Amino acid sequence: MKHIVKILAVVVAISASWLGLLQTSIVSQDYTWLLPIYFIVSLGCYGLFMVGIGLMQFPTCPQEALLLQEDILEAKDFLKQRGVDVGSD
Amino acid sequence: MLQSAKSNKRTMESADRAVGFLLSLLSLSIFSYYTFWVIALPLFYTDHFVHKYFLPREYAILIPVFAGVALICFLCMFIGYVMLKSKKKKA
Repeated sequence: MKHIVKILAVVVAISASWLGLLQTSIVSQDYTWLLPIYFIVSLGCYGLFMVGIGLMQFPTCPQEALLLQEDILEAKDFLKQRGVDVGSD
Repeated sequence: MLQSAKSNKRTMESADRAVGFLLSLLSLSIFSYYTFWVIALPLFYTDHFVHKYFLPREYAILIPVFAGVALICFLCMFIGYVMLKSKKKKA
Protein backbone atom coordinates (compact mmCIF):
# COMPACT_ATOMS: atom_id res chain seq x y z
CA MET A 1 0.00 0.00 0.00
CA LYS A 2 2.81 2.40 0.88
CA HIS A 3 4.57 1.43 -2.34
CA ILE A 4 1.55 2.33 -4.44
CA VAL A 5 1.28 5.69 -2.66
CA LYS A 6 4.95 6.38 -3.40
CA ILE A 7 4.57 5.53 -7.09
CA LEU A 8 1.40 7.63 -7.34
CA ALA A 9 3.21 10.55 -5.72
CA VAL A 10 6.00 10.33 -8.30
CA VAL A 11 3.49 10.17 -11.17
CA VAL A 12 1.57 13.19 -9.79
CA ALA A 13 4.81 15.16 -9.39
CA ILE A 14 5.93 14.42 -12.94
CA SER A 15 2.54 15.33 -14.45
CA ALA A 16 2.39 18.51 -12.38
CA SER A 17 5.81 19.57 -13.63
CA TRP A 18 4.75 18.76 -17.21
CA LEU A 19 1.57 20.85 -16.85
CA GLY A 20 3.60 23.68 -15.33
CA LEU A 21 5.98 23.53 -18.27
CA LEU A 22 2.97 23.64 -20.59
CA GLN A 23 1.45 26.70 -18.90
CA THR A 24 4.51 28.86 -18.48
CA SER A 25 5.98 27.80 -21.87
CA ILE A 26 9.66 27.85 -20.98
CA VAL A 27 10.18 25.71 -24.08
CA SER A 28 7.76 26.11 -26.98
CA GLN A 29 4.38 24.39 -26.66
CA ASP A 30 4.93 22.08 -29.62
CA TYR A 31 7.83 20.42 -27.83
CA THR A 32 6.04 20.18 -24.51
CA TRP A 33 3.13 18.23 -26.00
CA LEU A 34 5.50 15.61 -27.39
CA LEU A 35 7.71 15.35 -24.29
CA PRO A 36 5.94 12.42 -22.47
CA ILE A 37 5.89 10.19 -25.54
CA TYR A 38 9.51 11.08 -26.23
CA PHE A 39 10.51 10.03 -22.71
CA ILE A 40 8.61 6.76 -22.94
CA VAL A 41 10.20 5.88 -26.27
CA SER A 42 13.66 6.78 -24.99
CA LEU A 43 13.08 4.65 -21.87
CA GLY A 44 12.20 1.70 -24.10
CA CYS A 45 15.31 2.31 -26.17
CA TYR A 46 17.45 2.48 -23.03
CA GLY A 47 16.04 -0.84 -21.82
CA LEU A 48 16.74 -2.50 -25.16
CA PHE A 49 20.24 -1.06 -25.16
CA MET A 50 20.95 -2.44 -21.68
CA VAL A 51 19.68 -5.88 -22.75
CA GLY A 52 22.00 -5.79 -25.77
CA ILE A 53 24.98 -4.73 -23.66
CA GLY A 54 24.24 -7.46 -21.11
CA LEU A 55 24.05 -10.08 -23.87
CA MET A 56 27.38 -8.94 -25.26
CA GLN A 57 29.12 -9.03 -21.87
CA PHE A 58 27.62 -12.29 -20.63
CA PRO A 59 30.42 -14.34 -18.96
CA THR A 60 30.74 -17.94 -20.11
CA CYS A 61 33.19 -19.32 -17.46
CA PRO A 62 35.05 -21.79 -19.70
CA GLN A 63 37.00 -23.46 -16.88
CA GLU A 64 33.87 -24.15 -14.88
CA ALA A 65 32.18 -25.54 -18.00
CA LEU A 66 35.09 -27.94 -18.51
CA LEU A 67 34.99 -29.03 -14.87
CA LEU A 68 31.26 -29.56 -15.20
CA GLN A 69 31.71 -31.81 -18.23
CA GLU A 70 34.32 -33.84 -16.35
CA ASP A 71 31.96 -34.13 -13.39
CA ILE A 72 29.20 -35.35 -15.69
CA LEU A 73 31.47 -38.06 -17.14
CA GLU A 74 32.56 -39.13 -13.68
CA ALA A 75 28.96 -39.32 -12.46
CA LYS A 76 27.93 -41.35 -15.51
CA ASP A 77 30.74 -43.86 -14.93
CA PHE A 78 29.91 -44.10 -11.24
CA LEU A 79 26.24 -44.74 -11.89
CA LYS A 80 26.95 -47.23 -14.68
CA GLN A 81 29.12 -49.22 -12.28
CA ARG A 82 26.24 -49.29 -9.85
CA GLY A 83 23.96 -50.54 -12.61
CA VAL A 84 21.90 -47.40 -13.28
CA ASP A 85 21.62 -46.49 -16.97
CA VAL A 86 21.73 -42.72 -17.37
CA GLY A 87 20.51 -42.69 -20.94
CA SER A 88 21.66 -41.11 -24.23
CA ASP A 89 25.14 -39.80 -24.87
CA MET B 1 33.12 -35.16 -26.76
CA LEU B 2 34.68 -32.40 -24.66
CA GLN B 3 36.12 -30.70 -27.74
CA SER B 4 32.78 -30.60 -29.56
CA ALA B 5 31.13 -29.17 -26.44
CA LYS B 6 33.77 -26.46 -26.30
CA SER B 7 33.35 -25.47 -29.98
CA ASN B 8 29.56 -25.51 -29.58
CA LYS B 9 29.93 -23.17 -26.64
CA ARG B 10 32.21 -20.83 -28.61
CA THR B 11 29.71 -20.52 -31.49
CA MET B 12 26.86 -20.02 -29.03
CA GLU B 13 28.84 -17.31 -27.28
CA SER B 14 29.60 -15.50 -30.56
CA ALA B 15 25.94 -15.82 -31.63
CA ASP B 16 24.89 -14.25 -28.32
CA ARG B 17 27.46 -11.53 -28.84
CA ALA B 18 26.15 -10.85 -32.35
CA VAL B 19 22.52 -10.70 -31.22
CA GLY B 20 23.46 -8.35 -28.38
CA PHE B 21 25.38 -6.11 -30.73
CA LEU B 22 22.49 -5.99 -33.21
CA LEU B 23 20.04 -5.17 -30.41
CA SER B 24 22.14 -2.31 -29.06
CA LEU B 25 22.73 -0.97 -32.58
CA LEU B 26 18.98 -1.10 -33.29
CA SER B 27 18.16 0.69 -30.04
CA LEU B 28 20.75 3.42 -30.68
CA SER B 29 19.51 4.01 -34.22
CA ILE B 30 15.86 4.17 -33.10
CA PHE B 31 16.78 6.62 -30.36
CA SER B 32 18.80 8.92 -32.61
CA TYR B 33 16.20 8.85 -35.41
CA TYR B 34 13.39 9.63 -32.97
CA THR B 35 15.37 12.39 -31.23
CA PHE B 36 16.21 14.02 -34.53
CA TRP B 37 12.61 13.68 -35.72
CA VAL B 38 10.97 15.18 -32.62
CA ILE B 39 13.52 17.76 -31.47
CA ALA B 40 15.77 18.81 -34.34
CA LEU B 41 13.45 18.65 -37.33
CA PRO B 42 11.09 21.56 -36.38
CA LEU B 43 14.12 23.84 -36.30
CA PHE B 44 14.78 23.42 -40.05
CA TYR B 45 13.08 25.43 -42.80
CA THR B 46 10.06 23.65 -44.23
CA ASP B 47 11.60 23.44 -47.71
CA HIS B 48 14.89 21.94 -46.50
CA PHE B 49 15.80 18.68 -48.26
CA VAL B 50 16.18 16.69 -45.01
CA HIS B 51 12.41 16.74 -44.46
CA LYS B 52 11.90 14.15 -47.18
CA TYR B 53 13.79 11.54 -45.13
CA PHE B 54 11.32 11.80 -42.28
CA LEU B 55 7.60 11.05 -42.18
CA PRO B 56 5.15 13.82 -41.21
CA ARG B 57 5.23 14.55 -37.52
CA GLU B 58 1.83 13.08 -36.68
CA TYR B 59 3.43 9.67 -37.21
CA ALA B 60 5.89 10.44 -34.38
CA ILE B 61 2.95 9.98 -32.02
CA LEU B 62 0.97 7.35 -33.95
CA ILE B 63 3.79 4.83 -34.38
CA PRO B 64 4.82 4.56 -30.67
CA VAL B 65 1.19 4.49 -29.51
CA PHE B 66 0.35 1.81 -32.05
CA ALA B 67 3.40 -0.22 -31.05
CA GLY B 68 2.50 0.10 -27.36
CA VAL B 69 -1.09 -1.00 -27.95
CA ALA B 70 0.10 -3.94 -30.07
CA LEU B 71 2.52 -4.96 -27.31
CA ILE B 72 -0.22 -4.86 -24.65
CA CYS B 73 -2.55 -6.89 -26.90
CA PHE B 74 0.16 -9.47 -27.48
CA LEU B 75 0.88 -9.71 -23.75
CA CYS B 76 -2.81 -10.19 -22.91
CA MET B 77 -3.22 -12.85 -25.60
CA PHE B 78 -0.11 -14.67 -24.38
CA ILE B 79 -1.27 -14.61 -20.75
CA GLY B 80 -4.72 -15.83 -21.76
CA TYR B 81 -3.27 -18.62 -23.89
CA VAL B 82 -0.99 -19.81 -21.06
CA MET B 83 -3.86 -19.72 -18.57
CA LEU B 84 -6.13 -21.72 -20.88
CA LYS B 85 -3.42 -24.28 -21.55
CA SER B 86 -2.71 -24.79 -17.84
CA LYS B 87 -6.42 -25.11 -17.06
CA LYS B 88 -6.86 -27.69 -19.83
CA LYS B 89 -3.90 -29.70 -18.54
CA LYS B 90 -5.26 -29.73 -14.99
CA ALA B 91 -8.77 -30.79 -16.05
